[in-house]
Amino acid sequence: MLVQVCLYFYCKCLWRCLKFVVRKLTGRCELQRICYNIKPGAERTMKIETSLRSSKNKLLQNSTSVHPDAIEKTVDAIIELKKINPAVNPQLSVSLQACLLQIVGYRNLIAEVEKLRREPYDSEEVLHEEMLLKLWKCLKPDSPLEARISKQWCEIGFQGDDPKTDFRGMGLLGLYNLLYFAEHNGPAAQQILLDSLQPKYREITKEEISKYSKSEWEKKKFDKAIGYSFAIVGINITELAYNLLVSGALKTHFYNVAPEAPTLSHFQQTFCYLMHEFHKFWIEEDPLDIMEFNRVREKFHKRIIRQLQNPNMALCPHFAASESLINL
Amino acid sequence: MGLLSILRKLKSAPDQEVRILLLGLDNAGKTTLLKQLASEDITHITPTQGFNIKSVQAQGFKLNVWDIGGQRKIRPYWRNYFENTDILIYVIDSADRKRFEETGQELAELVDEEKLSGVPVLIFANKQDLLTAAPAAEIAEGLNLHTIRDRVWQIQSCSALTGEGVSDGMNWVCRNVNAKKK
Repeated sequence: MLVQVCLYFYCKCLWRCLKFVVRKLTGRCELQRICYNIKPGAERTMKIETSLRSSKNKLLQNSTSVHPDAIEKTVDAIIELKKINPAVNPQLSVSLQACLLQIVGYRNLIAEVEKLRREPYDSEEVLHEEMLLKLWKCLKPDSPLEARISKQWCEIGFQGDDPKTDFRGMGLLGLYNLLYFAEHNGPAAQQILLDSLQPKYREITKEEISKYSKSEWEKKKFDKAIGYSFAIVGINITELAYNLLVSGALKTHFYNVAPEAPTLSHFQQTFCYLMHEFHKFWIEEDPLDIMEFNRVREKFHKRIIRQLQNPNMALCPHFAASESLINL
Repeated sequence: MGLLSILRKLKSAPDQEVRILLLGLDNAGKTTLLKQLASEDITHITPTQGFNIKSVQAQGFKLNVWDIGGQRKIRPYWRNYFENTDILIYVIDSADRKRFEETGQELAELVDEEKLSGVPVLIFANKQDLLTAAPAAEIAEGLNLHTIRDRVWQIQSCSALTGEGVSDGMNWVCRNVNAKKK
């Protein structure tokens, strides 16, 4: 333990000395070096963020949590503090500003998402009710809902006759996400809903036919009914997206795709992507039945986290990828 | 015997493993109860697709708690988890009076199950933190619990949200782990 503490301080000291020497040699501070050597994107912004956060200077430390309107001033103050001549380095303040917008934006997005999550679904609220009914209309445009409390809700994957008890710990965030998916990616959402409702049968390859006797095959084929509940899974994937956001794993994605501050709709697009990818993953994993859900979900979660460790990664939707859906 | 060997013996004495099945309708509070037992955060819970499992140490037992989703679609899968169950915990949303009949039916079916015969049942009358919650005595009467005579059973009012009453119920579980009637 003591050795580790000593080692930590030794490394920290060494790092500061190294920074000092490099600064003297190149005549540039760490922020400049990062901006000049790394192209814009997650890698650059994350390095800037680490550099600012671990700084001894209060101005630099606090710069990652300033109000978005104060970013310009903060950048000017940083440049003055670092004694950088803006005439010689015109690009630097623009680069720093862009990074700070992303860093501050990510923090604010967490706060915004958290607020929605904490607001429970309330059937007395007109807005909540309207959104819920709209969700039905977007997913089932051809069959009207017969009553607000109805078994029909199960058709889009809620648990019972009133969805209000299904939002639980995700609150309004779950509804916002589901509605965004149904509204902005209507065809994709409807297709996934349709797939999720149907038991999936294995596609028969010639090899397999020769391996099994006919009766065995029939049994195997009809044992498999792996539909899942669309809305419930949507609320579950909302939790996954929320987790990725709060843990900071989504920084890679947002810093790569949002040139300025990431917004709620960026988060919702990420949710749509995750729904789509999860559906593909579910089919690939070929689970025996719904009881395997948490195992598959864990595996999916780990895979996304692994992907996000690559600084060039962006979770970009490609909804045209319908060839990956198994024909039913 | 030296101190070291005593210590070693203490360490190696394995806890008795107990298989606990947590059932009930959807939105009864099973997962919240499970997380409360494991002292985990209960604010991010979502409806259970499939099942959750957690191991909890309590009073010299290793409780393996299986929390199976309560959605009607999933209930047919409950039977896959009956085998070797030591204790059944059945959770009821005490404030959802409209579904008392449904939850009573499901419980009656479980009690009739051959694979669960003689298994002690603890019924948690959950959500007592809500003003509209029915008291445990009323639920016991409504569900005709007194007609259960082939096993030990107990009804315990609780709030999985605040944790109130949960440990009382779990004490009962630990006392009755070996009360399974053959």
